[in-house]
Amino acid sequence: MTDHAHGHSTALQYHPGLPISLGKLIMWLFLSTEIMFFAALIGTYIVIRFGAPAWPTPSEVHLHEPTGAFNTFVLICSSVTIVLALEAARRSQSAAAKGWLLLTLVLGSVFLIVKAFEYRAKFAHGIYPWRPRSKIYEKADIYYVAAVRTRLKETETQLKAAEDPLPEGSNRLDIVQGILKQRVEPVEELISTPRDVLVANGKDPDAGWEAVASLAEQIMPSHHAAPGPESAGAHGEGLNDKYPWLRLPVWIPGGNMWASTYFLLTGFHAMHVLVGLIVFAVLLPMRFTAANAGILENTGLYWHFVDLVWIFLFPLLYLF
Amino acid sequence: MSLDETRDSGHHDDHGGIGKYLLVFVCLCLLTGASFFTYSSYWPFHDTPQVGWAFMMAVSCTKAMLVALFFMHLLWEANWKYVLTIPAMFMSLFLVLMLVPDVGMRMNNGFARYSEERLLHTASPAPIEPHHEAEHENEAPGDSETSSGTDGEH
Repeated sequence: MTDHAHGHSTALQYHPGLPISLGKLIMWLFLSTEIMFFAALIGTYIVIRFGAPAWPTPSEVHLHEPTGAFNTFVLICSSVTIVLALEAARRSQSAAAKGWLLLTLVLGSVFLIVKAFEYRAKFAHGIYPWRPRSKIYEKADIYYVAAVRTRLKETETQLKAAEDPLPEGSNRLDIVQGILKQRVEPVEELISTPRDVLVANGKDPDAGWEAVASLAEQIMPSHHAAPGPESAGAHGEGLNDKYPWLRLPVWIPGGNMWASTYFLLTGFHAMHVLVGLIVFAVLLPMRFTAANAGILENTGLYWHFVDLVWIFLFPLLYLF
Repeated sequence: MSLDETRDSGHHDDHGGIGKYLLVFVCLCLLTGASFFTYSSYWPFHDTPQVGWAFMMAVSCTKAMLVALFFMHLLWEANWKYVLTIPAMFMSLFLVLMLVPDVGMRMNNGFARYSEERLLHTASPAPIEPHHEAEHENEAPGDSETSSGTDGEH
């Protein structure tokens, strides 16, 4: 269609509306919707987090800050490698471009693997979004004690029903019954005692509630530990850490909302990472030249955006 | 299409450069270290977390700008970049601001965590069984998280 113009005058050459390729334009349009998507998610998280009456500290929900920092570093590295892949492709150095692309793919996978380990640690501690709740209780109250008893009784029946005991199976039954007898029952007795009886016996009228809080502390400690740098991350060993098979309910004020927002934000981000990895894997067999470097540029734009989202997620989720 | 590609690649030859990218990478690593520094014991504002939050957000915005400007080449793009990025950012900002009165201010009313007003007029789910109703009365009405559920499921 520009043949005619070509012959006579260069001034009549066809020019596209924008000085960028269509693919890049579409990618940027998509990214602008992605900006709104993630900004809305992150913004909602901020509003909920600062509006919440209680919010768990990172150590309470078993967040390990150095792991998050490591993942940030991995994603930044992968951003650099994809940029270097693009630079190599622009110079038509296909092998170099492939190498950098492969490295990006590996780094992205490392990110996802670390994320998977973090998720597993959360699940192991009974932290996951569930309705009406996972193992997380917002308050150390009578319902919490009831849930602890229910879980212990459930474990007891399971252990009794098991025909051939595990190597330490017999020991487990003793542990469960010991916790019920020595730790749960005294607490139940204290809460069910009327306040005036407690006062008459020379006890604090709130002794029952303090006992519930202390029981919760025994199950998962460091609730009220100062969020100092030394105590963060490393918390004392509770019953749930000592006997992981017990999986007793835990008291984490604000924990349910935390779990919902954490898994929503990191889940959507992880999905974006996964999509990026699939695209990298599809592109890997290609021969990269200056002519088709555009596809690498568009993929890179997407990948940088994923990195950019994590740049905000890391401090918001791990350090706030 | 081929016209676009040649224009594109020709346009890009005069900037970028591996040295510049590596410099940006070093800056990003240092900034990550800076926000991680707030977690260390050397950070002097542990008793006023707001300082740390503001600092970390400033660091994050700087990092985001570095990634967008250099890695995403926005620094060297024509003016169309403003058309796509600025309205999107404003719309996301308004999305958040719209949540503040409803979600943010209702839940956290200044110093009083649950305002008297909210405690008195809070919504509570319709009772399904009489058993559940007795349960709800014992709980703080503001805590919809726990009051909406039944107990003893675990």
